[in-house]
Formats: sequence, C-alpha cells, structure tokens
Amino acid sequence: MQPPQSSEVTLSLRADPAFLQLATSFVERAAMMFGLGRDEALALTLATEEIFTYLCEGIGSDSPLVMTCASGGYYVTEEFHFAAKHFDMRAFNLTARASFEDETAVRETGLLIASRMVDRFHFAGNDTGLRLTLVKEKAYPFAPDVEAPIAKPLKEYSVREPHPEELKLFVSLVNAHYRADLTPPGFAFPGKIVDMVSCGEYAPEIAVDDSGRIGGGIVRRWDGTRLVEFFGPYVFNQPPGSSIARDLVDACINAIARSPAVGLITRYPTPELPQEYFEALGTLFFPGVGGVTELTAFYRHLEEDTGATVWSHPSIEGFLKDEYRRLAFARELLPVREDGELPSPFSVLSAEFNRAGRGVTLRPVWWGSDATELVAAHVDILTREDISGLLFEMDLGKPWQCHFSPALLECGFEPRLVLPYAGKGDLVVFQRRMGEPLR
Amino acid sequence: MTLWSVERLLPEYIKRFEAYVPSKPDPELMKLFGCSHLYRLNNNENALGPPPESQEVLRRFEQPRIAVYPSGDCYYLRQTLAARFGRHPDQFLVGNGANEVITFVIKALCEQGDNIVTADKTFAVYEWVAEFSGFEARLVPLKDFAFDDEAMLARIDERTKVLFLCNPNNPTGTYWNVEKLRRFLDAIDNRAVLVVDEAYCEFVEAEDYPNGMQLIEEYPNLIVFRTFSKMYALAGLRIGYMAGSLGVVDAVRRTCIVYSVNTLAQEAALAAVNADDHVLRTRKMVSDGKEFLRKELRRLNLNFVTGEGNYVMIRLPISDTLAYRKLMAEGVMVRTMTAFRFPNYIRITVSTIDVMEAFVTALRKVLR
Repeated sequence: MQPPQSSEVTLSLRADPAFLQLATSFVERAAMMFGLGRDEALALTLATEEIFTYLCEGIGSDSPLVMTCASGGYYVTEEFHFAAKHFDMRAFNLTARASFEDETAVRETGLLIASRMVDRFHFAGNDTGLRLTLVKEKAYPFAPDVEAPIAKPLKEYSVREPHPEELKLFVSLVNAHYRADLTPPGFAFPGKIVDMVSCGEYAPEIAVDDSGRIGGGIVRRWDGTRLVEFFGPYVFNQPPGSSIARDLVDACINAIARSPAVGLITRYPTPELPQEYFEALGTLFFPGVGGVTELTAFYRHLEEDTGATVWSHPSIEGFLKDEYRRLAFARELLPVREDGELPSPFSVLSAEFNRAGRGVTLRPVWWGSDATELVAAHVDILTREDISGLLFEMDLGKPWQCHFSPALLECGFEPRLVLPYAGKGDLVVFQRRMGEPLR
Repeated sequence: MTLWSVERLLPEYIKRFEAYVPSKPDPELMKLFGCSHLYRLNNNENALGPPPESQEVLRRFEQPRIAVYPSGDCYYLRQTLAARFGRHPDQFLVGNGANEVITFVIKALCEQGDNIVTADKTFAVYEWVAEFSGFEARLVPLKDFAFDDEAMLARIDERTKVLFLCNPNNPTGTYWNVEKLRRFLDAIDNRAVLVVDEAYCEFVEAEDYPNGMQLIEEYPNLIVFRTFSKMYALAGLRIGYMAGSLGVVDAVRRTCIVYSVNTLAQEAALAAVNADDHVLRTRKMVSDGKEFLRKELRRLNLNFVTGEGNYVMIRLPISDTLAYRKLMAEGVMVRTMTAFRFPNYIRITVSTIDVMEAFVTALRKVLR
C-alpha cells in the first residue's frame, strides 16, 4: 500500500450533536489511514466522542469548529480548533463539569475521560482561537530479548547521525548499559525510535569507528520552541579519560548553536555528563524503582544574556533572588501586588497529560479569586487518577500568572527551578512533592 | 472559517528562524548587571577610535548637510578607493556595513535550489543570509582551526553559486596564504564566485598573507569584502565595501540598495582610506595586548587560539555563556563562542594594556 500523500486532513463543521457520528467517523478513518492500529484508532475515536460532546455543551451548536487529523510518523494528532469568543474559558479546567448550571452532574468531565484514552493531551489558546489537541501513538513491539553486542573501546571515531539499523543497535546498547529512568522515553521500542527519528522528534548522534562499532551516543529533542532537551551522553565500555562524552556534548551543542534554541537542558543526566559544560539548575522528583528519586537538572544557556525584567510574587521572591544570584542571570524583579482591586471570580488552568510518564503539567490560563480551590481540586482529581508527577509552569513575563504563587505553595507545590527565557519571560517550574497529602 | 495566523503566510525557511537579538545599550546593561563601568571586548572594535583624519571630518561636519541625501553610490569614496588600490571606481560597491554587501551578493547570484559553501565555525552572517533567503548553506568543518580547502571543493556542485572564505578567519585568526588561495581559485575554475572576507586584513602582519585587491585582476570570479568597522573604528557609522571585476560588481550592483550609506560615513571613511599611521599604531597596540594576554593566559593555565586579527579565543573550564554573565557583573563584555560552534570558548577583543589587565583580573575572579 502506498503511504498517504497528505499528512493532514481537515473537517469543518459546527459543534452540533447532530454531527457527532460524522466527527467520529472522520477521526477513525483518518487515524487508520495514518497508520494507527484498530485498537488505537478506536481509543482516539472514543476520545473524540467525549470531546465533541463536551464542546457542543461548551461552545454552542452554532459555533464553527475545525477538526484536523495529522500524521506525526509514530503518532496521530487530532486537533479541535475554535474561536475563543464562543467558549466559556472555565471549561478549560479539568475539574469543570459538563454544565456549569448542573451541580448534580457527574464529577468526571469529558476532558478527563478523553485524557485516559490518549497518550498526550493539551489545551492552548490565544485571543484568536483555542486548540485542543489529542495525541495517540502507534503500538510497537518491545525490543527483542537478545543480548546487546559487547561494546569495545574505540581508538578513533567520528560523531555522526546513525542510519536506522545503527540506531537500533545504539538503542539496545543504551538499554543494556543504563537504568531505564536515564533513557529517553520510548527506548523500550526500537522501531518506535526509528520512526521518532525519521519524523524529527529525536535527533541522535553516535560515536562510531570506521568498522561501525559504536562507543556512545546522545539524543536530543525540542522541548517547546526555545528549549532543547538531551539524554545522555551514553558511553559504552570506553577507557577512563575517553573524550567521547565531551565530543558527543560538543556535537549536540553545535547542532543547535545557530537555531532558535536559547537553552539546553538534561533532566536525566548520566554519570558521564561533563559537568563543566553545564549549570545545575535545580532538582525534580521522579517515580523510580523502589520509590521517588531526585535528579538534578543540568542546563546550559546558549546565548549571551541581555538581562531582563521579570514579575514576582512576594511569596517566591526569596527563591527567585537566590536562583538568579546563583545562576548569575541579570534580572530586575518587579513585584505583583494585590491592592484591593476586584479580582476575577474564577481561575482557569490548562493541563498537559503525559500518560507514559504519569505526569501532568499545569499552566495558568486565567487567574481569579478561586485559585487555591482550583489548584487543590486539580491535585485531588489528578492524584486519584494515579498521576504522581504534578508540575506547574509559571511565566514570569506575565504578571497575572504570579498571583498563583500563594495557591501553589498552599497546595504543596514548591518552586524547583527557573528556566531562563523559556516563556514570554523566564519560567518557574513548581513541583508538588510526591505523596504529600493535600492540606 | 479562516482564523488569522501569520505563520501560515511564512515560507518554511523563515519559520525556522528566530530574530537576532542584539545586546542592550551599555547604560541598560550596566544597570542590569550592577556594574559601574563596561569594557566592550565583544565586537573586535578598535580601542584607539577612528583615525585622526576621520575624527577631523566628523568634527567639521556642517549639520545642515544632514537635510540632503548622501551620494547614492558613494561616488567620492569609490574614487579614493580606486586610487588607493589601483582599480577602476566601478570595481567597488559600498554598503551599509559589509553585512549589507553580503546580502547583495547572495541576492544577485542565488536562486531557488542554489547553495553556498562556507565553514561551520566562522562569521555567521554568510550562513544566516543564505538560509533566511531560502538557500542551502553547506558548512564544511574547520581543519586545525582553519578553512579546509579540499573539503570545500568537494562540496561544490552545479548549484553552488558562492563560496565564502573569511581570511583571516573570525574567530580563529587562521589564514590562507597567497599560494593556497591561488590554488583554490584555480581549482574552482570559474564555476562559482569566491568571496574572500578581509574584514581584518589591516591587522595582518604575516608577509605571505594574500592581497585580494591584486588577485581581482587575475580572477574575475573573486570578490573581496572589506570594512571600515574594525581597523578604522567607524562601526557606529556602518560602512563596508566589496571589490571585484567590473563584470561581477556590475551584476551585484543590480541588487544593491542605493542611498543606504549616509554622508557622515562616506566622508569619514574617505578620510580613513590612507590613514597608514593609524594602522601602524593599532597594530602595535594589538601586538602588545596579545603578548600580555599570552603570558597571563598561560599563567592561568588556559588554552587559547590566536593568530592574525585583533582577537583571541580562550577555552574556559566552564560554560562560556555562564562566564559571559559573570564577567558582565565585573564590567567586562566578551563574545561567547557557542554560536560559533566553539562551546566553552570566549573571544575577546585585544585592546590597550590597562583594559587587558582589567579583563585578566575579572577572569581570574570568575574562575576562582
């Protein structure tokens, strides 16, 4: 069968329950055309049913809606795009009931139900339009249960991109030499990694000699539009003093040196990481074998810092000052205050799910006087979903977002690290300490 | 329903690009980084300032003349350059800095599907202009910190229109001697244009350094770039130029924006063309500064790369961007080399001894 010529199909319709079957049929057929298996296509179709019904309630049956299915190589995305003016923003909240008027409605919402059926899920928007995106990945076989070849010290090597078979070999070597929590997501599935590289999600480079022996490698990927994350460097059986790790990091940096990236981060550093290239940014907790592990994120800024002004709530000012001093970033902190003005009565949060990592990243959409109750409700509902990694990203370039600080602290979140220039301004990443009861 | 999105209108090669963010003005930086002074060692500017002849022109300039457009093609400056280098005035094309001339050349010669060839670790503007104009930039790794002639030749194909050679290379200071440059031009065999960027040629003291202006006579596909920003310290006025055979300059002139070079810049540059004493004084300052730095950097046990040009590249045991921030707090601004694909290196402009001393003191403190 020839692969489809187009990698995107679009359906324009109204958010009217009468079109539900049309919407689900469109998604099911598109998903299968883009290579999802029957089970995955069905899951995406069921998620569509939930979302479409939910949007019919939220934006009204006269409102135009554009549905787009696209192939991402190893996954299919489904995007709902609609005008902001038709949407009650409170429906962004995972905790929102299907109808704001019906307090007796079931507690679970369409968004939450849909999130269980897909691998990733996020909501984003601006003044002109809102986008709700579902991502469903293809199913791949696990790596075959065969021993990885024994890696030998390399005398001379070059660093370059691997071809697909070398890539699978590299994957098997990484899996043989490193703990699973230090490997990139998906490394249990070699075929998936080949597809991820082919569609540009991962960019690996390996250290290899003329005979094709692999001595190490590194994998990078974009994290948003201004940050690049890498995994590794991985080094296999090389003698002490080998320069492979440094050469891999050099290659990784040089590949993005003239790109739009402003920072390079690793959240899962290997012991071979040449730390002189990086700054310890802060620590994050991860669920690991035998309990929670704490890993230091290492960061490298890629540009000359031109200094900036950021907004700050008094409750996190001490943290910010300490971090900026430690990292030597020039920042003027402008305090946000509440001077008795009337706040909005409601807050809105968007949630990005990563089912594989059992994590959710919350981002502010709107701030109001119910911020503490809303954050607490999200913690409650997500904890019951067995989501253990709760992150909250606050953009210090947007003063209103800083008003969430007291609510977060009250709900067990702590500011863990600052990502320079990762939003409109710097981003502060809060993490909720795992296992902490809701106060 | 069509929702507005500027992204839908952008060519793919523009979507990949992020706008370059220049540094803030000095007073803003000093406020942000909390320093009381700022030594700018990031742009290879000349600490001695413009030649006295240019300074005199600027002092005497009659302000009412600002109301009148400048010479659209830098008429008198081209006459002076022609006399200085023994060429025809039409063999020169002046731009608002050499960067503008790079754009003229690429616009004139390249069309969709074409490519340029240059090095991976050199002045970034050749690569940037090509890529944001939608042309492929083929980047050849440096060999021993120098442009690799054989590897560059191997990357030429029928769609290669321009090769860019930075001679001496910024930031490594390596250069091709006249014999190597001739061999390279012979091997190109008129298949493409070779641009030799000689932005730092006036700093070079090596005797076998080629004089591009003379080679133009023999090689009609050779273009030479020069600037008044570095040796002649007219960076704030933005003026640079290219020289080549009559045919190639005439072709590039078709894409040139006339009136882009202001009157002050033209007249200050004209006065600088023959300022040979200024060149000698600057070379002495650079030579003294380099000698001082070599000694101090060895004392700090730091590796460095220095050749021709008024700059030195230093390898640090920490991230160059972190060093930049810490040095800024000490009132010293350097150029990080990550964007030049030399991670953990900084490049500093060689300046007067007192400034070099201040730099070394700050560096010692940062690395402590």
